[in-house]
Amino acid sequence: MKKSIEEIWKEGFLNEKSLVAPKINALYNQKSKGLVDKVKRMYRINLIAIVSMSIVFPIMYYFLDVIWQGVAVSILLLLTAWYSERQKRSIKTLDHGTTSLDYLKSLDRWLKDNISKNAKILGISYPLYFLIVISAMWSAWNKGPITSKMYQKYPDVIFIGSVPLFVWIITGVATLLILYFSGRIYRWEVRLMYGRVLDKLEETIAEMEKLKQG
Amino acid sequence: MSKDFYPTSILPFAAIIIKICRAYTNSQEDFEDYYQEVCLQIWRSKDNFREQCKWSTWVYRISLNVCLTLLKKKKSNGQTYFTSDVLPDVIIIENRAFEDESLNQLYVAIRHLSEVDRALIILYLEENSYHEIADILGTNANNIRVRVNRIKERLKKILDEKIN
Repeated sequence: MKKSIEEIWKEGFLNEKSLVAPKINALYNQKSKGLVDKVKRMYRINLIAIVSMSIVFPIMYYFLDVIWQGVAVSILLLLTAWYSERQKRSIKTLDHGTTSLDYLKSLDRWLKDNISKNAKILGISYPLYFLIVISAMWSAWNKGPITSKMYQKYPDVIFIGSVPLFVWIITGVATLLILYFSGRIYRWEVRLMYGRVLDKLEETIAEMEKLKQG
Repeated sequence: MSKDFYPTSILPFAAIIIKICRAYTNSQEDFEDYYQEVCLQIWRSKDNFREQCKWSTWVYRISLNVCLTLLKKKKSNGQTYFTSDVLPDVIIIENRAFEDESLNQLYVAIRHLSEVDRALIILYLEENSYHEIADILGTNANNIRVRVNRIKERLKKILDEKIN
């Protein structure tokens, strides 16, 4: 090596044209892409989880000898997966030609809109899931000796079908409570699972707006 | 970012930001991402600057910290960075970022170094004193002196191997 590294460095940069700073007008483009990819990935994972559960539940319920309830859960889950897939596809309708800031804002609106639609749908689904689980428990109960033992031990208890009246009341109250709180339960679930991505999206939008204002 | 901030507070130091970002990236695309991220972080942290050091020192610190963070992220995402003595030819070709071929070779050699050594040698080559380097990296000047000599020897060895 003829020159020292100090000489190579100094002389190399003496007439170097490549030290021109790159334009930074595409600032945040990479970040926006990263965030959108995260949201898409989040939807994909969610979808895989729902479809997997729709396969596992009937098998599980089959072994518990309540196959129909398993099939009902599976159908409900598959309907949720179909709806989720439809939502995922609609992300493509967002205008990619806009600026990063506008794109992220429309993504944020899209997400909030979907969360609110899902909250309404799950307002019905959650009580249904609950009723299916209760129905599975009752079926299992009826097949055992518990019912006849209860008849003998508590002859005063009122039974409707083979289920005591107080169990009907508790189930009814619980279903109404789930119906009332399902929206909140869903939002709590969303925050638990996707809170970080949603916060990051809001944070980035706020920062980009600040950046725009200067 | 305000219209004045970039031309007055970042652009005069663009050369050093470019030199640092080049040492940590293997492609033009990555280089531009790193450069933008450094600029953004400088703007974000401008309110934290307390004038306890020079603005240039602040820029050096942020540039290095951002590059090290991004490099770590890339590594954890499974992207490969070459720190061994044998670099694939394709990487060398991609990194002909400068017109001067010796400078390109030197950069290839610098990318063989560990992340901290890369920072250290660039600060040294930019003619910062050992005390300034120690101040930027948060270590002591004596350690820097010893380390710089070792790095220079390693770079010479790598460059000689490449030439031969």
